[in-house]
Amino acid sequence: MPAKSRFTKLDAFTKTVEDARVRTTSGGIVTVTSLLLILWLAWGEWADYRRIVVHPELMVDKGRGEKMEIHMNVSFPRIPCELLTLDVMDVSGEIQTGVMHGVNKVRLRPESEGGGAIESKALQLSEDDAAQHLDPNYCGECYGAPSPSNAIKAGCCNTCAEVREAYAGVSWSFGRGEGVEQCEREHYSEHLDAQRKEGCRIEGGIRVNKVVGNFHFAPGKSFSNGNMHVHDLENYFAGGDGIEHTFTHKVHHLRFGPQLSDEVVTRIGKKGMAWSNHHLNPLDDTEQKTEEKAYNYMYFVKVVSTAYLPLGWEQKTSVFDIPSELIKLGDYGKGEANSIETHQYSVTSHKRSLTGGDASKEGHSERLHARGGIPGVFFSYDISPMKVVNREARSKSFSGFLVGVCAIVGGTLTVAAAVDRALYEGGSRLKKIHSN
Amino acid sequence: MNGHNGFGDSGLDEDNFGESSALKAVKAFDVFPKTKPSYTEQTNSGGIWTIVLVLASIWLGATELGRWWVGETTHTFSVEQGIGHDLQINLDIVVHMRCEDIHVNVQDASGDRILAGNALHKDSTSWVQWGNDRKLHYLPKSKDERLDLSGYPGFGEYREEDVHNYLGAARATKKWPKTPKLPKHVFPDSCRVYGSMEGNKVQGDFHITARGHGYMEMGQHLDHKAFNFSHHINELSFGPFYPSLVNPLDNTVATSENHFHKFQYYLSVVPTIYTTDPKSLKKYTDKYHESPSSGEDGMKQHHKRYAKDTVFTNQYAVTEQSHAVSEMNVPGVFVKFDIEPVMLTIAEEWASFLSLFIRLVNVVSGVLVAGGWLYAMTEWAKEMRSRGRRQGNGGYEGILSPAGPSANGEKKGF
Repeated sequence: MPAKSRFTKLDAFTKTVEDARVRTTSGGIVTVTSLLLILWLAWGEWADYRRIVVHPELMVDKGRGEKMEIHMNVSFPRIPCELLTLDVMDVSGEIQTGVMHGVNKVRLRPESEGGGAIESKALQLSEDDAAQHLDPNYCGECYGAPSPSNAIKAGCCNTCAEVREAYAGVSWSFGRGEGVEQCEREHYSEHLDAQRKEGCRIEGGIRVNKVVGNFHFAPGKSFSNGNMHVHDLENYFAGGDGIEHTFTHKVHHLRFGPQLSDEVVTRIGKKGMAWSNHHLNPLDDTEQKTEEKAYNYMYFVKVVSTAYLPLGWEQKTSVFDIPSELIKLGDYGKGEANSIETHQYSVTSHKRSLTGGDASKEGHSERLHARGGIPGVFFSYDISPMKVVNREARSKSFSGFLVGVCAIVGGTLTVAAAVDRALYEGGSRLKKIHSN
Repeated sequence: MNGHNGFGDSGLDEDNFGESSALKAVKAFDVFPKTKPSYTEQTNSGGIWTIVLVLASIWLGATELGRWWVGETTHTFSVEQGIGHDLQINLDIVVHMRCEDIHVNVQDASGDRILAGNALHKDSTSWVQWGNDRKLHYLPKSKDERLDLSGYPGFGEYREEDVHNYLGAARATKKWPKTPKLPKHVFPDSCRVYGSMEGNKVQGDFHITARGHGYMEMGQHLDHKAFNFSHHINELSFGPFYPSLVNPLDNTVATSENHFHKFQYYLSVVPTIYTTDPKSLKKYTDKYHESPSSGEDGMKQHHKRYAKDTVFTNQYAVTEQSHAVSEMNVPGVFVKFDIEPVMLTIAEEWASFLSLFIRLVNVVSGVLVAGGWLYAMTEWAKEMRSRGRRQGNGGYEGILSPAGPSANGEKKGF
């Protein structure tokens, strides 16, 4: 035996000499059980360590000069594409210029024929396509209105669209274009009549400045008259062929910014309390129906910036450092390592007849609707100052995992030792009683 | 193995009675060193130490259990789902003007005008009846005043929100209190406007103005001397009506001597859910239903509307400004409200039973191990001391005396 130093007494790991050791069956069972328990708990700890959790954080949106993409897919079964226009305006009511857009108008078969797509045509937000097969020296008349500034040939109205534009510029109603040479040549009224029964779907995206604004679908060409934004409604209200146009519509899809992938959505949804944080677009697949021509739908949208930062994401360059003109429509907000800058929104819908009246149909006779206005579907969006950041993280670090395992092993063994001791003592007491 | 068993022959005979070989094999795994009683020694100090350790682990375990029992309050936020339509406004206000002289309206961002006067009740009353024995207060200006909400247990600004307070308050009566009867020969000089109404869930302006001022078409002109927009707000809340939930504007009073005075309140309304059952809430939150926080309309569509464990309501932040205006302006009480897109969920959750068990095990074992170590150290320290003393006496015995057990035994003497 080695000489006893003064530290011998400090030995926390007192050892029993082999001769004095006792092994019991109960002890063995306790050992095996506690080993199994340790394995099970340690496996749980491992699973916990490997799990990726999403931490939602709320912060003030400090971005400046950002853009925002609006992606939409809305169909109007009772309005032909020829009549429908899309205007994007900012807070002051100015039509936004220079917005990047890729919106298609898809002509839809009449509702009675099932409503399939006929043809798709890129929508021009401000100008229309050029006249073709014309004498280079041709200069069409503008019928008393000044030529539009964006005419192909200054001072002329070479196409029906340009005549309509010119009329819109001086707030004249254009009607069906009878007696207008350009339009008769282009069979404007025939086209219009042929399309009367059709519907229209508008799909695609626009990129706007991230400021308060609105976009709306309304009939006829729009023009600004002083401070007023006016649409040429004559053709819409006139109808024809026994067709009454209405703004019955179905929103297939409306989102602000890129879509999170399904995988990401389920991952956000997985975390116990994040049930309310899943990224859904509340307006997707909603429908509103009316039989009234002069009817106005409004959606009040509040847009909240949302970022999704996956595991391993590090701030190197901001997505927004690249000039937005260089980014393809639909890619804006998609950063490196699959990080995504997008937006969620909450929405309140409102509808009213342009003839005013009260909301007694919905049981609110005290509610008086405003009168007048433009029939159409209006989305007015407001930007929230808050930003939600969903950050992926490991729920535990490696050392945290080790600490957890040690705690499990130590805790279980200590308690098992106490249990075993109790069994042993109890057993030997019993034996003593028996032997007596 | 056999050798050990052989050693234990005398004491453990009964272990071998009817013991299968399988059990014998298990025995080999026993890693817990037990010592035969004859080799162990029980001391007085060890016994006391054990009791202390047991008490310590009971105490720690009890606090752990208590913490588990209370649960953990989590605050989460989310962008409100569902397409909103209506927002219920609950109002109970006493204005120091006669009922026939005031107009109550809401004008909102959708262009609608809501004739709130038709939807709410108006009772003639006397100004002095309100505000004597009632705990009225001005809208608190300083931080100290905000913190001192002594009248409302559990609702102080920085007090931790106990979900159960809110659940309990929501279960209380949902009736509007009666207007006190006018005493005889008292001329009604005030008007109590109260009730619930549905507005559009958009930014809006709720206002009380005088007849003939502000809205052109209404009634004839009212004498300016009759203007007095002093008011008590007994209740102003949004969403389902829970009179016992206290909002910042409840029981506040604002007075003015001027006839032409404009009181303005700016409110930011935040949809809020208090719940003790966040997991089941998940099932019922979907985008096809209006948020139940917005009022009766939304509640009707929701499965959990009558659930005892969840309250759907709205909180709001308020700022106030009031000033005298010239006769060119419209005097009155104006409440401008806007709805925030981010919804709060205050949930109380219990950790799982398993995790409680693990924590308890950890606590007990930690105490035992640490306690054992401490015990060994105190024993060592004592022995060192006694050895030093004996050396001081010059006795030989001290050096020769066996280290362990005897020292323990001697301990009683000190």
